[in-house]
Amino acid sequence: MASEQGKLRYALVVLGGPYSQAATHSALRFGEALIAQGHRLETVFFYHDGVYNASRLAAPPQDEPHLVDAWVRLANDQGTELLVCVAAALRRGLLDEREAQRHGKPAFSVEPPFVLAGIGQLVEAGITHDRLVTFAP
Amino acid sequence: MLLHLLNRSPASSRLIQDVLRAMGPEDRLLLIESGVYGAVPPQSAGFETLKGRCYALQEDLTSRGLAERQADWIIPVDMAGFVALTAETQRTVSWY
Repeated sequence: MASEQGKLRYALVVLGGPYSQAATHSALRFGEALIAQGHRLETVFFYHDGVYNASRLAAPPQDEPHLVDAWVRLANDQGTELLVCVAAALRRGLLDEREAQRHGKPAFSVEPPFVLAGIGQLVEAGITHDRLVTFAP
Repeated sequence: MLLHLLNRSPASSRLIQDVLRAMGPEDRLLLIESGVYGAVPPQSAGFETLKGRCYALQEDLTSRGLAERQADWIIPVDMAGFVALTAETQRTVSWY
């Protein structure tokens, strides 16, 4: 159910990697537009190559949009939950501090507000949000 | 009523056949990203059965140099219009 009249709670799923597919740009632009209309962007779930959006080591050229920072801004300004599929992330070298320790790795590449999550949380997002929109590669 | 999102050009994918088969009589289709190539004639002919419920994302048309080149029956929408379509329909299905 919508929290206010006509105002909806959205979850986005991002399956495409940043800087290689349009999915991340589309998802960010869509997220900004829904917020501008008074809806809430409550959750973004990063899956498949979309997990590369969560790398805290991303260092794009300064004259290009910093997509990772754009997600962090959303989390800070809107309280958006940034969930990263743990199975997809570990395979691609995206580990938070705890997972890095657990696997004996010398560094970690994921930090809050990005949170490693299970696929069950994607299913839950589909149930608990008013709308779920997938941005695919 | 569902909103279908298609991000593949008909020139590079036969996905359009699956989308058309899967769509219900009231469902809407929004062409995004490279899907907007399908909005331009002669490719647009493939979507003619969807007159009145076929949309294309304006900024993706523009970024590909296709602004104003879409078929006259395809409805251009901006990002706000995209959000409105997702709000008006019960669910969104992404094809890729």
